[in-house]
Amino acid sequence: MSETPNFPLAVVDGLTLPPEYRKALRPGESWNDGAGRPNQLPRYFYEVPSWDTAMKIELSSHFLLWEFIQVDVREAPPLRTFPRYVPCAITLLAVCLERFREAVGTFIHISANGGYRSPTHRFSREATPHAWGTAANIYRIGDTYLDNRSAIERFSLIARETLPGIWTRPYGQPLGFSEDHLHLDLGYVTSVPRDVKS
Amino acid sequence: MSTSDAGRESALRKEIEKIESGSGAKAIAVALSDAESGLELHYNAERWFHAASTIKVPILLGVFAAIDRGDLLPHSRVHVRNRFLSVVEQVPFRVEQGRDANSSVQNAIGKMMRVDELAYHMITTSSNLATNLLLGVVGPDSVRATLRELEVDEGIELKRGVEDELAFEKGINSRVTADGLLRILVLLSEGKAFSPALSRRMMDILHAQEFNQGIPARLPKGARVAHKTGEISTIAHDAAVVYLPKRKPYVLVVLTEWEPSGSGRSRAIASISHAVYEALTAVVPA
Repeated sequence: MSETPNFPLAVVDGLTLPPEYRKALRPGESWNDGAGRPNQLPRYFYEVPSWDTAMKIELSSHFLLWEFIQVDVREAPPLRTFPRYVPCAITLLAVCLERFREAVGTFIHISANGGYRSPTHRFSREATPHAWGTAANIYRIGDTYLDNRSAIERFSLIARETLPGIWTRPYGQPLGFSEDHLHLDLGYVTSVPRDVKS
Repeated sequence: MSTSDAGRESALRKEIEKIESGSGAKAIAVALSDAESGLELHYNAERWFHAASTIKVPILLGVFAAIDRGDLLPHSRVHVRNRFLSVVEQVPFRVEQGRDANSSVQNAIGKMMRVDELAYHMITTSSNLATNLLLGVVGPDSVRATLRELEVDEGIELKRGVEDELAFEKGINSRVTADGLLRILVLLSEGKAFSPALSRRMMDILHAQEFNQGIPARLPKGARVAHKTGEISTIAHDAAVVYLPKRKPYVLVVLTEWEPSGSGRSRAIASISHAVYEALTAVVPA
């Protein structure tokens, strides 16, 4: 276990966690996406000791940690209580969202289950960047609810123009599309902090 | 049943027939079970009706079964999302915003609400959004299994969530009989659904019902009614446990079916409820 300078959360090697957490987080395991391509799940996590901590820690100027870890009853039971574990790449997502926020000029609201959720969350049928901590489902920007084509496509375009390489889910009803939120992600990015001891 | 009970049952049946014939309803069913006198009445009580929102009572039972098993806690949090899949080809649909009597659940879209909050809104203001969210968490199969385990599945057919218009067009609807709902409410009122404490919590929610134009409407002020209504274009139902001072409660279920243009629905239910009240509280000559 180590601590990154100027960042108050300890970094944890998922492979050293108790069995119930390893079963839920599947650190370092391979997981296939919808096209059958394998992706390696994150191995290193920040340990979040309490909800109070999550409410206080700024990942960027306008995003606090708690906004990325709101999960409901569909999350694996050990991951619904504290300590919680969130992949280290979550900080990259926060930086991207901060830039996106500057571009839209108003609040960005990440939905419940729409930040980090584990590979054993009931919504996780196949590999999703949500399990890498690199995806966000945004249901509201300022006063605009992203529940229609016009709003989703408008903000999707701004996201893609602002954040090179970002992927947004197209508007629509079928699997792989989205009609009641804007999904954006950085892909299957893992972050290995320099000072981890494994 | 004693001779006097038989007489009361017969007189009440005639009164219900009279109300039905004067109401313009296509069909009326009544089921009654009085814990004080033991009197029971089953009038058309095995006829199937579209359940409308009365199906939310079996769903409430399914939610509390999950709490009893430890799969859910009352304060477990559920993502409020207005997107559901029809039982017909899994086509996505949404609950119309204007259908819910209050906007509490709609206002939480994107956020989370507690299971007990959703259960409260599902019953007290008949929130369709809350209903579909809870059914999504526990699953229809689990609700059906609960009804079987409690031996109250007869007369209850849970086919889908609410506002699944595609299913409605195909005739796939949840159905109930008056006797089916009666059995569930008797179980709840006797504190036999999982545990007395959980039964009481469900009854507390039913007591907070905000739609009171049916069974409670013509009861005296001292009456307390735990109930669930159901209403769509051709249906008006009310299923209740009625508590009167200084006597054991009675369970009354009134199911009614109408032409889409039919009026006087609440009046008919309230009249039957009043007739039942009169019959059960009348002083029998010695």
